[in-house]
Amino acid sequence: MIFPLIQSDFLKIKRKGMWLLCLIGPFGVVALQMVNYGVRKDYLFEQMDDRWLYYLLNINTFTPLAIVLGIVILTSFMSSIEDETNAWKQLVALPVSKRSVYLSKFTVISCILFLSSVLLFLFVFGYGLTLGLGEDIPYLRLMEYSFLPFFAALPVLGLQLWVATISKNQAIPVTLGVIGVIFAYSAPLLPDWMIWKWPALSNDWGHAYINALLGIGFGVLLYLLGMVDFKRRDVK
Amino acid sequence: MEYIVETKNLTKSFGKEKAVSNLEMKIPKGEIYGFLGPNGAGKTTTIRMLLGLMRPTSGSVQLFGKDMKNNRIDILKNVGSLVENPSYYPHLTAKENLEASRKILHAPKERIDEVLKLVRLHGVRNKKVKGFSLGMKQRLGIAAAMLHQPELLILDEPTNGLDPSGIIEMRELIQSLPKEYGMTVLISSHLLSEIDQMATRVGVVTKGKMIFQDSIETMRKIAQASIQIKVNDNEAAWRSMLANGQKADLGEEHINLQVEDDEQVAASIDYLVQQGFSIYRVQEETRSLENIFLEMTKEEHAE
Repeated sequence: MIFPLIQSDFLKIKRKGMWLLCLIGPFGVVALQMVNYGVRKDYLFEQMDDRWLYYLLNINTFTPLAIVLGIVILTSFMSSIEDETNAWKQLVALPVSKRSVYLSKFTVISCILFLSSVLLFLFVFGYGLTLGLGEDIPYLRLMEYSFLPFFAALPVLGLQLWVATISKNQAIPVTLGVIGVIFAYSAPLLPDWMIWKWPALSNDWGHAYINALLGIGFGVLLYLLGMVDFKRRDVK
Repeated sequence: MEYIVETKNLTKSFGKEKAVSNLEMKIPKGEIYGFLGPNGAGKTTTIRMLLGLMRPTSGSVQLFGKDMKNNRIDILKNVGSLVENPSYYPHLTAKENLEASRKILHAPKERIDEVLKLVRLHGVRNKKVKGFSLGMKQRLGIAAAMLHQPELLILDEPTNGLDPSGIIEMRELIQSLPKEYGMTVLISSHLLSEIDQMATRVGVVTKGKMIFQDSIETMRKIAQASIQIKVNDNEAAWRSMLANGQKADLGEEHINLQVEDDEQVAASIDYLVQQGFSIYRVQEETRSLENIFLEMTKEEHAE
């Protein structure tokens, strides 16, 4: 039932530059480290015995920013495609449930973000190899720092998609998004309960996977809230 | 009678304002139903409720005998619609726009070319809709509404933005639908002339209330010409005619005669002459549908 809708949504994002964004995000994160390591590689190598880990931590200073920013842009784009000519009314007048309309949007954005995470993994791994960080490649850590931020960011996705779909004016979700990006940037200063801190993967327990689990839990919760609210509203 | 669309006590309020109140709409199968009313009368709100885009404040909507509340998806499988301004994705081509809907409707791929030919957009199928004129976008919207060969087609102001030749084409297309595909069509407009040329049934709505709903013939009958006669003593002449068994109304300055053919007019005049009245004037008064429409909607405004 939902697959035709998802296919249709993938068709609609054609020529909108969303796939380019999917590539630029992870590339940007690694490119910043290319500059960092390009300029002061020797200094950075001295900072920690585990060079791989230090490299991953450096990468992870920018991953949350890129993900939160990506979510803001993608969700806002996604709903502006329907807002532009008020295509919501045409879409909802088709034989589809409003719930699946919302789920489809959520799924498409998740797919793009997940693909970004895969690319991030490949770029981080690839550039890491050229740096000569040592023989022991910490594959598990590599996976963690590539994929867990995505799961930890799901609540932000749920929130942004909700606000973006119900706002007539995209300035509202974008403003919220900018605040979110600032939060993500100042993650170390934030209390653990704030969802924007989670993609940074740091918490008092010291286990990164807790952020991912929390992310999935609250992501699903916010997704459900958004969906129920979207279903409840009249289409103008 | 089998009704494709039937609403009962349909009401929608926005805050205190009632956009639609106790609307009873009945559309039999195979009809072209002209939904008529001035701007802001509640036409679009009604149509939105028919499509399940809005929830009625009270009352119910039944399409194909099924209740909208519980069978929305089932019902919409057989409904094609174009609501208000056409919606489209400007960055996609005409073909891609239809493809986005076709996937959801599970219509066969060939239908895209068929409907594009039907609305004469086949030549520009690979062009982005961004560059289309309003008329072309409107036609694309109608093409999208017909993709799955729906049993009910709901078109809200479909001739908006079309040029005269486009309007004629659209009219011919709409008129052919019930005959060729057995479709029922609901078409809204604020222009009576447009409805007059297409519709077989009419519903007139003003201020959210249905004030007339019947076949177009009935509406035309109301519009039929009446003969006005002015004589030296209108009242006496009127009494005399009633006594003779003729239908007549007394106006302020003349007698209104309701007659069906010319012979009757002749007979009435002959009778008046024999009775010794001096006839000053005999004239025909035609009320256009437009006048009736205006009168109907004006009465409501006066309240």
